[in-house]
Amino acid sequence: MSDNTKNDAPPERPLKAYAFDPSQGRNLGNYMTINVRNEALQPGPVGKYLVVIDYDASNDTYYEPVNLDDPAVLLRGGLDPSESDPRFHQQMTYAVASETIRRFEFALGRKAKWGFRGGRRTDPNRYRLRIFPHAMQEANAYYSRDLQGLVFGYFPASETDAGANLPGQTIFACLSHDIIVHETTHALIDGQRRFFMEPTGADTPAFHEGFADIVALFQHFSYKEALLEVIQKTGGLIYRLNVAPEVAPADGGPVIAPELSTENPLVQLARQFGEAMGMRAALRQALGTQPNSKDLEKLFEPHDRGAILVAAVFDAFFSVYVRKTRDLMRIAKAGGATVGPDDLHPDLANRLAKEAAKIAGQFANICIRALDYCPPIDILFGDFLRALITADYDLVPNDRYQYRAAFIEAFRLRGIRPQDVASYSEESLRWCPPEEMKGVTAPVCKGLDFDVFSLPTPAQQKRNAIILSLFGKNNAEALGLRPGIPVQAHSFHPLHRVAPDGGLRVEIVAELMQQTEVHLDPNDQQSEKFTFRGGTTIVLNREGQVRYAIQKSLGKDDDQNERLRRQREYYYAMDAISGLTTYLPPPPLDGRPMNFNLIHRGY
Amino acid sequence: MPDELDSNTIRIRMYRVGFGDCFLVSLPLTGDAGFRHILVDCGVHGKGNIGTMDEVVDNIGTITDKKLAIVIATHAHQDHISGFNPEKFGKFQIGEVWMPWTEDPKDAKAATLKKKHVALAAQLNDHFEAQAFSGARVSKSRAAAAAAVANLVANKTSLQALHSGFGVDARVRFLKAGDSLQSGDVPGLSLKVLGPPTDEKFLAKMDPPAGHSYLRLDGNRVESANQLRPFSSKWEIKPTDSDLQNLRLSEAERKRIKDEVASDSLDGLAFALDKAINNTSVVTLFAFRGQVLLFPGDAQYGNWEAWLQQSDAADILSSVTFLKVAHHGSVNATPKDALEQMSPGKFAAMVSTQSTPWPSIPRGPLMDRLKQQTKNKTIRSDSLAIKDIKAPKGPVVSKLPSGFVKGDFWYDYFIKL
Ligand SMILES: [Zn+2]
Ligand SMILES: [Zn+2]
Repeated sequence: MSDNTKNDAPPERPLKAYAFDPSQGRNLGNYMTINVRNEALQPGPVGKYLVVIDYDASNDTYYEPVNLDDPAVLLRGGLDPSESDPRFHQQMTYAVASETIRRFEFALGRKAKWGFRGGRRTDPNRYRLRIFPHAMQEANAYYSRDLQGLVFGYFPASETDAGANLPGQTIFACLSHDIIVHETTHALIDGQRRFFMEPTGADTPAFHEGFADIVALFQHFSYKEALLEVIQKTGGLIYRLNVAPEVAPADGGPVIAPELSTENPLVQLARQFGEAMGMRAALRQALGTQPNSKDLEKLFEPHDRGAILVAAVFDAFFSVYVRKTRDLMRIAKAGGATVGPDDLHPDLANRLAKEAAKIAGQFANICIRALDYCPPIDILFGDFLRALITADYDLVPNDRYQYRAAFIEAFRLRGIRPQDVASYSEESLRWCPPEEMKGVTAPVCKGLDFDVFSLPTPAQQKRNAIILSLFGKNNAEALGLRPGIPVQAHSFHPLHRVAPDGGLRVEIVAELMQQTEVHLDPNDQQSEKFTFRGGTTIVLNREGQVRYAIQKSLGKDDDQNERLRRQREYYYAMDAISGLTTYLPPPPLDGRPMNFNLIHRGY
Repeated sequence: MPDELDSNTIRIRMYRVGFGDCFLVSLPLTGDAGFRHILVDCGVHGKGNIGTMDEVVDNIGTITDKKLAIVIATHAHQDHISGFNPEKFGKFQIGEVWMPWTEDPKDAKAATLKKKHVALAAQLNDHFEAQAFSGARVSKSRAAAAAAVANLVANKTSLQALHSGFGVDARVRFLKAGDSLQSGDVPGLSLKVLGPPTDEKFLAKMDPPAGHSYLRLDGNRVESANQLRPFSSKWEIKPTDSDLQNLRLSEAERKRIKDEVASDSLDGLAFALDKAINNTSVVTLFAFRGQVLLFPGDAQYGNWEAWLQQSDAADILSSVTFLKVAHHGSVNATPKDALEQMSPGKFAAMVSTQSTPWPSIPRGPLMDRLKQQTKNKTIRSDSLAIKDIKAPKGPVVSKLPSGFVKGDFWYDYFIKL
């Protein structure tokens, strides 16, 4: 059966999965089919990007791998959802991770890449992301660059406060759609921006977390059935936290199940997981608190802080949705229909669902595309806003539906203020070409060799790397690099995008990196050293002209270096907060990668 | 320099208990009216106990004539309170017992926090003990974490004794940053409480992150690491099975995965919890006839941070003449900012410490810097050899700095007034 990629093979492979998680039963379109790109699979499954290895470290055992190419399985469109059959779990992690990869490739206009550098040479799976659906007995899941994979845990639900779960029932992180998307996104970001895993400030780990949640949440809007149901029950107001009960309760309050209002699953993450841990609610909500600019000064735990970013993006999304569907609602009302829960006309509901799905897809794309416009390190939420605005402007200069205005307003409301920007106007937020920044013209980078339609060969890559490093070195000043310090080119790739007008845009993105060793305490030459990085993301057009040079300059180790000061302070604070260093020797600060295992304790 | 007590001398006695704290401060009354004694902590860690505690408490009784003006329990860690044996202290006359506000049963915030901490500590401890019992290999990090958690449990008897004022009508007080007290019983003594703070920001840090409730807050069950088998055995395949083909991981790789997934996460939680408790430490500043003594308990960065930001912090620090080094000289417990603002040579320091159970304590660079800042007037408890007692050896001191005197199982520091 390994030949099914021949011409007559279907382009897609249907696989069943939970849209949310097992606790949702058949509610709200929870049983869904994901159409993944068809590829030849070995048992595991093992595909081009992914290898599912069902090894359980807590029990030191494997679970039988699923063979998705088995005709019996193929005919049924994959195995049916089941909590007790590990092969379904393998199938679901494979399907959801594949769907997430595809989403990225679509938005970025290029093949996905992983952030780890292969393992043992003899390992046939060394370039694949490994998925361990049942790695450990623990309420946790995380991406580990060291293990080159996604690690999911399982655990017994709380005995006293299990929410919709049975007390003590086994909960599987790998059956939560959100958690799979979230963790896969971590791995995908790491493949684009490997230095984002270095926590250089409160915003960096929070960005990783927030971004992963954003991707997971937008995914919800592609589940047509679930979306339709929520639209029906909220009268189209899909951002509401609760959906109306099936039957309106009498004055005395609800007495039977259909009279209970339920939470809107579209705006919640990993509900079963949260409930099973006795938290009585979904793990995180996209919305739910009033925007306020104080949170940024108060919240430093990566998930909490990341939630501010998530809320900003969803605020923008829902604003655009409301704006774009206002006419539909008006038309419906003009026709005499009441527009409220339960009496939405099916046609209207359908139209709204289509709109919501479309806008969600666009927003997800904008966010993912913005990654290419982010600085190579030390990302701040404000940088991300600038990246969003620039990325979207490049593709869609005419902002007819005011997507960008919605982003700006939502970020502004939450006090996310980009550095060195005169105002919140679109013009000042857009990154600018180097001549506008420093008054120096950057010459053209010539000789880069990118094939538009396939991944560059290793020889091409090597040559390109040399050209780019030299380019950086020779134009250090214009590109915001520090002259006299070696420049390394990291993760450079062509991007092709089809604009709404049908035009194909080809550009090249590259990270130019520099580093230096500095003391943790500038006044104490005995204090530990760490690697301080600087760098610039350059975006070149097809001709090699620098369109943007997005900079985090290395600068000098002096009082002027605001960024270095911030990073030092952050290290102090982190060590002080973690407590890890109290009883164990301090970990080396040199590019200390983020430990998602710790950040994610409990997801 | 004096080496015995007279009406113009303060004596600070640091007992060597092992890994723990026990300091007795004796303040002279004017004329020949005798002394007032303040006991700051009395405890030792179960895994760093060198077996001197009984004698220590007896010695306290002898030299104070069983009269203590104030007993301070800086925070609810074994290594600071295990020695508060109700039988023994029940025979003392005790004026006041001071604890941090986080111990106040009438404070709702404190009570909630405390409940959480206790439950979490108990579960972590159960979990770690079950693991140790199962004979599973224990990583360095896990061993350190288990020791930290052990410090949090089994403190009930001592705490009850403290809360009841030892059954001798001692007045029990709960202190918070900003309190300043005049103790009528010790004329000339004024006290400023610098920590723990009560503000929200600080409290947020005290809270074990919500995600951690997966440790099943309801269960008192001891749960072994490998208890749950998620699937029917028919799905299981042995790691060595050749059917696995390309999916088979090498033994080394399996070990790597086990190490990574099995260890880190709970350890971090244990450390966070431990630090939270350390940060409840009462930080007291004693001002007595021109001398300023700072006792920060085990305060770590979060606790210090709050008052270091106050406008009078620099003045306070530069006036300090004696420092009890916080948290046994660990990293993070003596902020650079604080130590650098103290006046070089003006103050002496005592460190109750030893390298068991945590080899990274005390922190070398901190010890070096302390020596410099105090112009050598720093002493570590583990430099003291005690007859017939086997204990970890700290660096040998050939000549004691002036003002310090060696006892059978203690060091004294005398301050001439
Ligand atoms: Zn302590
Ligand atoms: Zn201690």
